[in-house]
Amino acid sequence: LPCVFHVGSFAPSPTTAVPYMSVKCIDVRKNHHKTKWLMPWGPNHCEKLKDFDEAVSRQIEANDIVFAVHIPLPSKEMSPWFQFMLFIIQLDIAFKMDNDLKENAEITLDVSLAYRDDVFDDWEEIAHAVEIRKLKCTFGSPKTLDSEGRHYDCDFLPFMEIGSVAHKYYLINIRLPVNERKGINVGIGEIKDIRLVGIHQNGGFTKVWFAMKTFLTPSILIIMVWYWRRITLMTRAPVLLEKVIFALGISMTFINIPVEWFSIGFDWTWMLLFGDIRQGIFYAMLLSFWIIFCGEHMMDQNERNRLSGYWKQVGPIAVGSFCLFIFDMCERGVQLKNPFYSIWTTEVGTELAMAFIIVAGICLCLYFLFLCFMVFQVFRNISGKQSSLPAMSKARRLHYEGLIFRFKFLMLITLACAAMTVIFFIVSQVTEGHWKWGDITIEVNSAFFTGIYGMWNLYVFALMFLYAPSHKNYGEDQSNGDLGVNSGEELQLTTTITHVDGPTEVYKLARKEAQE
Amino acid sequence: MSPEYFLRSLLLIILATFSANASNWLYLAKLSSVGSISEEETCEKLKGLIQRQVQMCKRNLEVMDSVRRGAQLAIEECQYQFRNRRWNCSTLDTLPVFGKVVTQGTREAAFVYAISSAGVAFAVTRACSSGELDKCGCDRTVQGGSPQGFQWSGCSDNIAYGVAFSQSFVDVRERSKGASSNRALMNLHNNEAGRKAILNNMRVECKCHGVSGSCEFKTCWKAMPPFRKVGNVLKEKFDGATEVEQSEIGSTKVLVPKNSQFKPHTDEDLVYLDSSPDFCDHDLKNGVLGTSGRQCNKTSKAIDGCELMCCGRGFHTDEVEVVERCSCKFHWCCSVKCKPCHRVVEIHTCR
Repeated sequence: LPCVFHVGSFAPSPTTAVPYMSVKCIDVRKNHHKTKWLMPWGPNHCEKLKDFDEAVSRQIEANDIVFAVHIPLPSKEMSPWFQFMLFIIQLDIAFKMDNDLKENAEITLDVSLAYRDDVFDDWEEIAHAVEIRKLKCTFGSPKTLDSEGRHYDCDFLPFMEIGSVAHKYYLINIRLPVNERKGINVGIGEIKDIRLVGIHQNGGFTKVWFAMKTFLTPSILIIMVWYWRRITLMTRAPVLLEKVIFALGISMTFINIPVEWFSIGFDWTWMLLFGDIRQGIFYAMLLSFWIIFCGEHMMDQNERNRLSGYWKQVGPIAVGSFCLFIFDMCERGVQLKNPFYSIWTTEVGTELAMAFIIVAGICLCLYFLFLCFMVFQVFRNISGKQSSLPAMSKARRLHYEGLIFRFKFLMLITLACAAMTVIFFIVSQVTEGHWKWGDITIEVNSAFFTGIYGMWNLYVFALMFLYAPSHKNYGEDQSNGDLGVNSGEELQLTTTITHVDGPTEVYKLARKEAQE
Repeated sequence: MSPEYFLRSLLLIILATFSANASNWLYLAKLSSVGSISEEETCEKLKGLIQRQVQMCKRNLEVMDSVRRGAQLAIEECQYQFRNRRWNCSTLDTLPVFGKVVTQGTREAAFVYAISSAGVAFAVTRACSSGELDKCGCDRTVQGGSPQGFQWSGCSDNIAYGVAFSQSFVDVRERSKGASSNRALMNLHNNEAGRKAILNNMRVECKCHGVSGSCEFKTCWKAMPPFRKVGNVLKEKFDGATEVEQSEIGSTKVLVPKNSQFKPHTDEDLVYLDSSPDFCDHDLKNGVLGTSGRQCNKTSKAIDGCELMCCGRGFHTDEVEVVERCSCKFHWCCSVKCKPCHRVVEIHTCR
């Protein structure tokens, strides 16, 4: 915990939002087809309009106006440490009695994006697209002559997303072409201004994050190697639970491996998508692990130990993650080609996206129902066993007590971790983002992200460390005949429990007692 | 006393009387003919600035266009908000811009000070976001103490810069007097109330950008309200303004409500010292234009109604044919194609 607070006082907040006000440029050339980039400021800035009243008096048409935004603001540079950039667009539309906003109005944006790395270079185009966005606006006051000039309350619209910030300067040119015959950009009210907000990760946070990942990777990797060596030292084949824990370790390492370092040198726009996939795999693994852990501690007479035995519970996880994967490919995957694309802008896209998300949500609910039911079953079995514990032989009692302890322990730390995550999540959503502690400012959000990330790493680490099979008596298992595997497992508190009978158990436990 | 010293002090006295009105800088709004303020010499030629403001102008040349824009915004908004009242915020082409009304400590003066300091903060913040200014946000408050402030932790909000600039430019005259007279205290309070009208009405907007757009990651920012909203807020404060008088608590002078039964005013409220004239009659000496010739609303019982607007002098009624625009086709900008429609309306004007 102190460590987390230290990070919070040292690291900046995870992201920054920079507001940009677009500059209204006049495209003075007659031919619009040749691309020419219009700069909002600087030495070669365009001919600017202060406001649109000026345009009316100068008889400039809507098609001659270009909204220009230079990223970043003057005397600053973008950096690869920003990791990603995403932009939202906000339209300031003024109310006019005779120029009202049509219902379900759609705005057509002709947008292009360019970059350069030196102030004296020419602009290179990255993307150009014609995008349609639906306007969602409300008007708070009565629509009378008196409230003319007030602005509509419009929701912001998604504008652009880029998965890497490889260049120093970016330029956005937006046109709102009007075509009355085709009904393009008609009935969109009187636009006063276009504002953008750019969100990117803070360089300082990226560095702290990378450092953390670079440090965590080897620690999880080492414990994983150690864990797998323990398992291979056993004479039996690894059981399901062991495999799942190992898979959890792998997916954690997969997230941990700081491949993001490459984004500093290479223009890999797919990093954002890749990050989503890595996180998705980890979540799916974690959820599967909980189910299997519960199943393997059921203490009933069913033999599971196979993934296919859990199809009912793991199925929803697979379907849910697959849905989210498809959704992500449709959104961020397409954005690799066209950064202005958003699945939410079209009717069909929205329905499709909602369908995917709803299916994923249903799967998640289904999963949690199964999980809760299984936990309930385990506890029922535990209480059943606990009442009969005193009547059991010492060996059986020890065995069951071990199982119960093991289950309760995991239950406890899992609940603690989940509670911490939820609490931190709520806190970070509610508070302003930073707390003052004397003269130290603590960035809650960065402390939260690093803290939670570190905590789940620790969780996986602890799982592998505590639930590794013991190597102490693996040599003796060979002599135990067909029940050897079971007995070995039980004593080492590792895995699946099947029926426990016979003198071998008693013998072994007794011997162990004697040894200790 | 040497003659030179005498001359100098005389000059100072003249200067002081000339700049007795701290809102004289609003005259900038009238200077559309000057073009852009881009040279230091222009600063000295600007009418209405006091010496300290001229120095600030020279040091912050690039900001001055925004200050002028802010002044224009403030005047436009004031005229919009007061379009139906006896005092309709009309400006004169001489100094002081609003006539003598504003040099007294009236409600109207309180509103003018508040809206103008808000206008400057608003315009400067806007200019920051559009990239017109070099030294917004980042350079003033570099977070984390790193030399690469922007790359390490981003910049602080532009509004902080806008407000700080408004504070140092608009408040400078009151501050230079040492903030002791009750007029200075009132002006400072109202200037601050104007800026608070922006700060306390910032909209917080958030965007989620976690895995698949979930709210695992969320970034929030503050967006400035439209200036019309600021005007509305301040108009409400104008209607509920508190009459105050000076009182001393310890060695510091503060303003307290004249009527001790009233709730003490907050930072956001407007305060005034003197009651306003009725603005009925033409009185050029005090810069009151009077309401004769103003249009009024025959049916209204409020201040825009003929009864109150014309101060009981009665009104003329004329039937006028007006040409209105109808069945218009609009583009989002610039182009309006309308048919002219003729309509006969009754217009009432005060005697």
